[in-house]
Amino acid sequence: MNADATSAARIGLDWLRTAVAPVGAFGRRHDDARPPYGPGDEARAHDEIAGVVALAAQLDRDGVPRARAALRAVPEPTPIVARARVGDPLSDVDFYELGRFVDAVAAVARAWDAAGGDTARRPPALDALRTLLAPGREGAGFYLADAFAPGLRAARETLAAEETAFETRREAIAARVRDAIGIDPAGDEFVVLRDVYDGPLPDDVLVVRETPTYRAAALRVVAPARDAALARLADEEEAARRALAEQVAREADAVAAATDVLGALDRTLARVAFAQRWGGCVPSFGGTQLAFTEATFAPLADALAARGRRYTPVTLALDGVAVLTGPNMGGKSAALATAGFVCACAALGVPPPARAAALPLLGAVTWIGGEGPEDCARLLSSYAAEVVRARETLAAATPRALVLVDEFARTTGPREGRALLVAFVEALRARGAFALVATHFDGVARAAGVAHLQIAGLREHALNALDANDLDAALDAINAAMDYRVVAAHDGEAPSDALALARLLGLDDDVVARARALHDAR
Amino acid sequence: MPGSKSSTSAPEALYALATAAARSVIVVGTAKNAGKTTTFNALRAVAQRRGVAVAVTSIGRDGEPSDALDAEPKPRVRLAPGTLVALPAGLVPRSPALAILERGGESALGTVVFARVVLPTRCEIAGPPTARAMRATIDRLRALGAGPVLVDGAIDRVAPLAGGDDAVILATGAASGATVARVAAAAADAVARLTLPGRDPAREFDEVVHLGGALDARDAEELLANPRDATVVVDDPTRVVVRGALLARLRAAFDLRCERALRVVACTTSPVGRDASLAPRALVEAVARATGLPTFDVVADIAA
Repeated sequence: MNADATSAARIGLDWLRTAVAPVGAFGRRHDDARPPYGPGDEARAHDEIAGVVALAAQLDRDGVPRARAALRAVPEPTPIVARARVGDPLSDVDFYELGRFVDAVAAVARAWDAAGGDTARRPPALDALRTLLAPGREGAGFYLADAFAPGLRAARETLAAEETAFETRREAIAARVRDAIGIDPAGDEFVVLRDVYDGPLPDDVLVVRETPTYRAAALRVVAPARDAALARLADEEEAARRALAEQVAREADAVAAATDVLGALDRTLARVAFAQRWGGCVPSFGGTQLAFTEATFAPLADALAARGRRYTPVTLALDGVAVLTGPNMGGKSAALATAGFVCACAALGVPPPARAAALPLLGAVTWIGGEGPEDCARLLSSYAAEVVRARETLAAATPRALVLVDEFARTTGPREGRALLVAFVEALRARGAFALVATHFDGVARAAGVAHLQIAGLREHALNALDANDLDAALDAINAAMDYRVVAAHDGEAPSDALALARLLGLDDDVVARARALHDAR
Repeated sequence: MPGSKSSTSAPEALYALATAAARSVIVVGTAKNAGKTTTFNALRAVAQRRGVAVAVTSIGRDGEPSDALDAEPKPRVRLAPGTLVALPAGLVPRSPALAILERGGESALGTVVFARVVLPTRCEIAGPPTARAMRATIDRLRALGAGPVLVDGAIDRVAPLAGGDDAVILATGAASGATVARVAAAAADAVARLTLPGRDPAREFDEVVHLGGALDARDAEELLANPRDATVVVDDPTRVVVRGALLARLRAAFDLRCERALRVVACTTSPVGRDASLAPRALVEAVARATGLPTFDVVADIAA
């Protein structure tokens, strides 16, 4: 489903993508490989959404976030395994990371089981990889243990013995040097101040740097047996790592399969968490309607909830094009956004937060109304931006497009603006697109020959009885007085309640009174 | 007796002093090549002789054969079995293998891992890039092992470690002055800044001036233009960038304090520099007198 930046923002598509974003790298990869559902994908979209709805009912609500937290903690094994497959050497940190991966996958499986998940989606156990690494696992850590190769133990014992012999030899040399120059050659390097001793140094002393004031020196401890033991151990350890890496490479397919399962599970659980938070339905696809019952525009509901306000769900049935009228602050824009949001949910395989829905899978959603960031970048005025967007929309409009029009041409002269809107609605109808057109212009629906819907609006006389001391109180009062339902409209002037709302919002009483007098005298 | 040599060696005495004060010991230097890593290695050597498994890490990149900035050769870090170490994954030696325990945060050289030395090995050590991450690394090393945590630190990156219970050792030497008097003065200046006392509500004046950022020369001049009974508070001692006489005047005129104090427990001296060598005993005694702190030359085995 295509939507430019403005449209995506207005219909909450950006918010939705964030809300159902996977928590882990595998899920993100899984998502990136799956474009939104579009026309022709109805069966797949239905199956995914139906699966999510079923899981939302089945899985424990506290278990889902725990399973997602476990998914977030899974480290990425893919680059390590890829290097093993091409024969690159692996390090002990790589083996440690693979061990972490095996443990983390097991933790996801446990969390999935605890949440009540089924076996079909359960991450695999990776037993073969676990067994491979087992000799080196110390708790969560890893050590290239003797058990990985037959020669390791002997090489380490030899080195340990040679280290002891080396220290003994070094101590004997140090004693000789102390006796010869009176300085204790402690540590790996020691300093010989020229003020203290400026004579020749014993043969056992190697000068590593010299200045006019001192010599830094180290003991020359020749230990060919220790050097050989070090070299042998290095060879044995590299051989053990090579052998282990080859075995890891043979588990590449199992690791890839596990990451695929984790990716799919991550995507699914993100949607399940959404459905458990917002509710959701399995839409029917393939009809000619765009309709939903008691749908929630979740981004707005979320914002309202943060301010202690409640969102009123929207019910709407759209056969082609309809005009939507209603008072200011009555929720016209929210109704438009809800229509776009519900369709966006379906496109992303997310249960639309509604009691029921019958939807098309759309190719594009376009929002027209006001300026978007792209319009500002093009230095277009509000009117110019709308016209350019209308032109582009008509050029691309198809029966699989949804066009959401929010008070088109409100910034130009009302007579010409209304005429332009009527003509634009006629053009949308001719192209067979779905469109919902919010406006304060009168008679647009009848003139263009399309359905007319309206926001039920303020309950009769409710507003005049209201008073409020501040903006928050005014908004609460308006919220309580407004009936946000979308209903079939009757003919006549589109109500706006602009003057009553202006009074409640605190505009100077004299100004409102003068406006009302002018209005009533018209 | 000042400058005395006792039956306990200077490194032993320094180790006992520092580890009695705290479970983590951070060595910082007044200048490059002031003997910081030499002090660090001397502490490790004492621990090894005592059979104590220490944990080590570094705020800078240490243990490489030469200094990355001036190509000056540097002491190598040889780690004994049982030592815990925090270092970037890319610096984990391939042989003899370390036991990898867990992973930490990111550093410029890759993910920091915590590991335990199984057989003696030499390696480069580089800790996390920020002192905040270093705080977490030190805390993790403390949790992973029972021995003290030794940190090859940096004086300009010790700020977020302030307020903890770490012991700080200040390494100074001929690299920071051509004469004993100059080295001692530089050490006294650094100690005066780093030992800025923490806040004490019982002793503060009614007027408390908070300085959000650094206390620089301009702030100092403004304060000194209006001397009064006031407590001046900075976040931590490293925020004080004024030096010498100006700092002394400021401390005389105001009650200068910090929100999060550092615990400087000792100094070490290195009498050798690239162009000069100083009398080791005279240097130890002068630095001890100037700073009022126990002072050690861990190479010449002198304590004062």
